[in-house]
Amino acid sequence: MATILLLEPDKQLASSYKRALTTAGHEVHWQNDAQAALSVLDEHTPDAIVLELHLPNHNGVEFLYEIRSYPDCDHIPIILHTMVPAEHPGLGHAYWHQLGINEYLYKPQTSLKQLIQRVNNLTAPQPA
Amino acid sequence: MPTFDRTSASVGDNRLLQAMAEELKLPLLQIARQAELSAQERADPEALKAIELSATQALWFVDSYLLSQQLLQQASLELEPVAVSAALQEAAHVLDSLAKQHNCSLELQLSGRFAPVMAHRLGLQTALIGLGSTLINAMQNEAEPKLVLAAHRSRGGIVAGIFSQTEGLSQAVYQRGRALYGEARQPMQEFSTQAGAGVFVADALFGSMDSHLRVAKHQSLTGLAATLQPSRQLTLI
Repeated sequence: MATILLLEPDKQLASSYKRALTTAGHEVHWQNDAQAALSVLDEHTPDAIVLELHLPNHNGVEFLYEIRSYPDCDHIPIILHTMVPAEHPGLGHAYWHQLGINEYLYKPQTSLKQLIQRVNNLTAPQPA
Repeated sequence: MPTFDRTSASVGDNRLLQAMAEELKLPLLQIARQAELSAQERADPEALKAIELSATQALWFVDSYLLSQQLLQQASLELEPVAVSAALQEAAHVLDSLAKQHNCSLELQLSGRFAPVMAHRLGLQTALIGLGSTLINAMQNEAEPKLVLAAHRSRGGIVAGIFSQTEGLSQAVYQRGRALYGEARQPMQEFSTQAGAGVFVADALFGSMDSHLRVAKHQSLTGLAATLQPSRQLTLI
């Protein structure tokens, strides 16, 4: 089981993702905006973050820069799970990599099953 | 009052279509994920209700876009006397399910009786529903969201619109959104994380009715509204 910080602005989608990840055995902390998510990070260090770029009052990229500057958060795997297509001008895979994103998932084409699989892969204990 | 430039409408068509397509992605994605979840969990009634609502919202977006295009394509739109209170009530009725899903309370505030306004009945209702759905979605993470559908008199006519206590909505934000929609994914970022297509469809619809959408105040609330002209024929009676 892993602890997941889910940053998703849409309540209905968040409910589906939370239920699916919880059923898969993960503990999910859902936040709808970056400020609240940063407060969560002050108290807990999740095993992975699932992040949408479109957040209220905050850009997801700013959030990424901010958490990557925290010494105890720089190692947390981040799944960018977003409505923004990879081919969007200036926002390609190279840019995601530069931002320290471990996985990019285009939300409209990612099933719950695929999301769970990626979360499982990123949070699985590494062999010694 | 600025008039709606029908000659520039075709230029705006593509932008509106892009904003619509962007907005449609969310309800369709909600449907897909809810359906997947329901299949896994052997369909619970709550999930099925959410699926129905998302599909209805997506269909509504398509229909409202088609209506806006249909009205804009008419060289001279025939306006008729429309009871503004009935249009607001109908909009409240349609928005009720979406509001319930987001725990948003809906209130109708009609201070006094109003003369009928010159409008396109379905166009006015659709515009109000578009504004309402955008505001409800924008407020979905607020503790006690409340949407007020209201009309009041002003020097220019009868102001009809949708109001709330949500922060971030201002004339500057709306005008910038108007300039950016179809190009930016969050044209009114301070106020909504979505494409705001409901607002821009309403803008097009009010434009086709020779009115225009603007940010307005109703008591202490802020919202989006249009000033509509009372029907002269009936006012004289």
